[in-house]
Formats: sequence, structure tokens, C-alpha cells
Amino acid sequence: MTTRIRLLEIGAFAGIAAALSAALAVPPEATQGDLARMLFVHVPSIWLAYLSFTVTLVASAAYLKTKSLRWDRAAGASAEIGVVFTGAAILSGMIWGKPTWGVWWTWDARLVLTAVLFFVYLGYLALRRSTEDPTARARRSAIFGMLAVVQIPIVHFSVVWWRTLHQQASIARPGGLEMDPPFVAAFLAALVAFTVVYVALLVRRIELASTEDEIEAALRRSDLPVAGAAVVTPDLRSADV
Amino acid sequence: MSAPVVSLRALGVDLGRTPVLRDLDLEVAPGEAVGISGANGSGKTTLLRVAATLLTPTTGTAEVLGVDVTSDARFDVRPTIGFIGHTPSLFPHLTLAENTSFAAELLGATISDVSSALAQVGLSAASSRRADHCSFGMQRRAEFATLLLAPPRLLLFDEAQAGLDSGAVELVDHLLKDVVARGGGAIVVSHQRAHGGLPLDRTLELDNGNLEVAA
Amino acid sequence: MIGLRHQAAAIARRDLLSEMRSGEVLWVIAPFAAIALLLIPLGIGTDVPTLRRIGPGLYWAVVLLFGILVALRQSADNAGPQRDRLAMLGADPAAVLAGRAAAAAVLLIALEVVLLPVMLALYDAPIAGWGWLLALVPLVGAALAMLGTLVSAVTGPSATRPALVPLLVAPLAIPILLAATQALEGLRLGESILTWLLLLLTVNLALAVTGVLVARPLQEAG
Repeated sequence: MTTRIRLLEIGAFAGIAAALSAALAVPPEATQGDLARMLFVHVPSIWLAYLSFTVTLVASAAYLKTKSLRWDRAAGASAEIGVVFTGAAILSGMIWGKPTWGVWWTWDARLVLTAVLFFVYLGYLALRRSTEDPTARARRSAIFGMLAVVQIPIVHFSVVWWRTLHQQASIARPGGLEMDPPFVAAFLAALVAFTVVYVALLVRRIELASTEDEIEAALRRSDLPVAGAAVVTPDLRSADV
Repeated sequence: MSAPVVSLRALGVDLGRTPVLRDLDLEVAPGEAVGISGANGSGKTTLLRVAATLLTPTTGTAEVLGVDVTSDARFDVRPTIGFIGHTPSLFPHLTLAENTSFAAELLGATISDVSSALAQVGLSAASSRRADHCSFGMQRRAEFATLLLAPPRLLLFDEAQAGLDSGAVELVDHLLKDVVARGGGAIVVSHQRAHGGLPLDRTLELDNGNLEVAA
Repeated sequence: MIGLRHQAAAIARRDLLSEMRSGEVLWVIAPFAAIALLLIPLGIGTDVPTLRRIGPGLYWAVVLLFGILVALRQSADNAGPQRDRLAMLGADPAAVLAGRAAAAAVLLIALEVVLLPVMLALYDAPIAGWGWLLALVPLVGAALAMLGTLVSAVTGPSATRPALVPLLVAPLAIPILLAATQALEGLRLGESILTWLLLLLTVNLALAVTGVLVARPLQEAG
């Protein structure tokens, strides 16, 4: 198991190195110049944001069905990675947006949705932190996951409708770029590399979580004193000294 | 031999990450009243909450009135369990009568039951007083009134007789005898081994997360 | 045992009675929200045309943000021994959620009704199609009540709940906010607001179904 994780991590590093060199090797894009290189980070981050969210939801549903804490660990791990990449997607989008649109933020439906996703993730992680008991935590976070599944499509449609009503002057979109073959190749390399990084982080995080649980189970098996053992008969004489 | 009212097997309960009960076995037979004593923090309340189906075991199994406490059937047996916790549970902004009527409505009892129950616990004259304006003992009595509305098959008392006057202690005594006479069971928990002289069939001591026969 | 609807009705009546006695929503949360409506112009400037334009939107944002407090009110008696008492009386988890949500909906509608004249007075915002408000206000109140009640049940009696519930509710309440503001905007422009009412109806239905489905798993002990 450990060797396989190690290989996966080496693969992730190699993938990132390859994607980075490819991203730096392609010639500057015709209209946006070097700025277009930001897409090599931005788009894979968005992809991972949605991928990890989906994994969290599937794992939550699987937990509710099987009640196996393995699924809960997967859900939590994926959400942690997801919040990082959602943040990265928003941040890289802002860095790209400022020189392109002249503003850090625009009220585009996709931007709003990504921000919503970020906050839902944060809330999900805060909910996990606030519950100590492993089973209660698993159940509550899985149920919140289900609530989010029901609500997020509605959020999506409402935001899209809202934007269609307030269509502003069309803005330059990443999709409007001229994609020549070397650019596309570097782009695909970045997508693959990010995905491998995600899988490596996920596997490592799940392993860490299950080790934590094992340690706890071991402590429980051993002679960890029960809560009541901490209370002894009051000894008034010792206070006299 | 009929089925036990409460059956806890190899029960272990952790609260958060702290073990409270460990490998505990307890069986309460129909018509039996059991007293459990123990020091502060020894896990008496935790044990009672498992028997009330409010807490699920971390390890082992717990069956109450023939129902596994983790199954959905626990929602159906709850009204037949009379659980009196160590803090009064009345809704503070409601009067004693409103509190009792609310319980009656959920339990399917009638309004005349409410006034007779309040009369039996000696609170007729105070029934229109808000719970948060009543003393501890009065709130306790009002909780006992709820038990008179729908006589339970299992009584769980957590220090129920503490802080009560002699009349109210007699009420506890009566409730206990009544459930036992009807073939139900009772678990009474208190700090004192004597359990205030309540009529108990046996007494156990909770120590180190487990039960032993009281000395 | 009595039916689910009777249980839910009894629980809703109890919640409202407690609230009537404590006055937490109408005497504490509503004035607090009204202060927010007063503070915002002090912060952004008191230019009348601007206030007229932003008034309705701010009104809904304030209803939403302060409405979350309704789910957190103490008078819901949703913690400790009272929570146990309700469980031990044999109330079905779905009936508890439904009853609590119904009471919260009544309180939220009251909050909306109290804040509306405050907004109209302070912002001088034009409102058209008053009749439609009879549908809009209850739909918003019910949706927000169900969302708040559900999330409040999900977080359980944790110590961080007062901060956690708003964090979890706010992003998921976006459709409610958008539908409410766009509906008022549509009324002002004389457009049909059926789409937005339909959206609110969908939110209500989705939350009601979710509530029924998760009620029992949520009530699991612990």
C-alpha cells in the first residue's frame, strides 16, 4: 500500500513538472500573451473543485447507505482538497481577471457559483470540526451533503436565470482563445497532472484519517481510564498544608 | 421466563473520545426495580440515557422493552418509558398546565386526565404558573404528573427524589411500586447507596465504567 | 399515539406559545434587523434615488440574514432536557421538524411584515403589485424557515451552532434571495414574476421532501 502511494506521489510530482515545462514552453498566446498561461492553473483547479465535490457527495451517500466510516473519511478528505482547489480557482481567476477585465471580480454566473461552492465547502468542513463523536460527525456531515445536493442545482438555476435577465456587455472569455495544438497539449498535460495530484492527496489523506481512527481504536482497547476514574474522594486534609 | 425489560450486553459508551462505560452487562426483569449508585462522573446518567434510547452504544448491544435502541422502533417505545433526568425538562415559558397538556396531546391523553394528574401531584392551585417561575420541586412534581397521564412500562429516575419534600418522595415511591406491580421495570440512579429508602429489589454500584453488586 | 399532522400542529403551537411569552423574534430580532436597515444608509450615503433603487434588495438581504436567527432562537427550546422531553413523549422526528418549521415560518412572515414598512419609510422604495406580496412573503418565509430548521437540526446541539448555522444556511439561501428580489423588481417593471414564484415553490418542495427523508437519520441519538 505504502509503495503504491509513494509511486502515485512520484507520479504526481513528475506530472506537475511535465505540465509546468509544457506550460512554459508554449509560445505566448496571440491576444492575451503570457496571461493565457494562467489557464493552465485555473481550469484544472475548477475541474478539481467539481471533481472533489462530486466525490464527497457520492461518498456521503455511500456512508448513509452502508454506515461504514471508510466512506466518511473519503468524503471529508475530498472536501478538504476541494476547498483548496476551489480557492485556487477563484484566486487564479481573479489574477487573470484584473488585467483582462480591469476588475478582480465580476458578477458572472460561473463566478458566483464557484464562490457559493467555496462557502458550502467551508461550512461542510466547519460542521465536521464542530462534532467530536466520529459517528455523529459522519452522519451529520453526510446529511448536510445531501441537503447541499438538493439545493445546489437550484442555486445554479437561480443564478443563471438572474444573469440572463441582467445580460451585460459580453466579456472576453477564456473560451474565445485561439487554441493551437501545442497549447492544447500543454493544457491537457495540466489537467492530467492536477488529477493525479488530487488522487495522490486523497489517498494520502484517507490513509492518515484511518491511521488516526486505528490509534483511537487501539487506545480504546487498552486500559484507557474511563471518565469516572478522574474523580476521587475529596481529601480535605491535603488542603490544610 | 418473560423477556427482560432492559437488557444491556457488553455495553460500551464513549462520549466524544472519552470512554464512560465499558463492557457493562445489566438485565432488568419484569417486576424488578434496580438501584444504581456511584460517585460523581461515574457514568450513571450515561447508562440511564442508553436505557432511555437517547444514546446509542459505542460497542455492545442495548435492548429496551424488546426493542434494539438503534432501530427505528425506539421512536414507538419512547412514550412507554418514563424518564426523569436530573435537570427538570419542562418548557420554561409554558405554565405547568400547558406543559402537561402538551405532553397529554402527544401521548393521546385527554384534558380531564391533565387536571386529575395535576391534582394527584398536588399542583392544582399552581397549574397556571409558568414553569420558570416554579421551584425545582414543583417542576419535578409536574414531570411526575406526565407519568400519571400514560403509565410507563419502564421507569428511569436520575436522582429523581433529590431535593424533594416528603410528600413528593412518597410520590416517587408510589410511581415505582405501581410500575413494578404492573410487571414493568425500573432503574433508579443516585449518589447515595441507600437510594433514599426507595423500595428496590437489588442495588448495584457503578465503578470504573462497570457494575458490581453494592456492598 | 396520534397522527403526524396532529403532532406537528401541537409542536408548532407550543413553539409559538413560547415565542409569544418570550418575545424573542418580535422584540429582539425584528428591532435588530430594523437597525440594520437604518445603519446601511448611514454607511453608504443617504442619496434618495440610490436608496430607492437599493431598498427592496436590501430589505430581502436583511430578512434573510436576520431571519436565520429565528432558527437559532432560545425560545425554540431545542437543546438539553427539553429536547429529550420532546423525544421521550414519542414525537415522530418528521413531525418535530415539520412543527418547528411551521412555527418558524409564521415568525419569519411576521418578521417580513414588520420590516416592510420600516424599509418603505426609510428608503422610500416604490412597490408595485401589492397583491403578489400575499404569495411572495409566505413563500419566502416558509422556504427560509425550512432551511433554517433543517440546518439547525443537522448541526445538533454543538457549542459552535450559533455561528455555524448562519454559515451553512446563507449560501444555500441564494435562490430564495434572488427569487424574492427579482420578483419585487419584476413587479416594479410590470413583468410577470411567475418564474420566480415557481422557483420559490420548487425550493419549498425540495426542502420539504429533504426534511421528511432525513428526519429519522438526523434524530439518531448522540
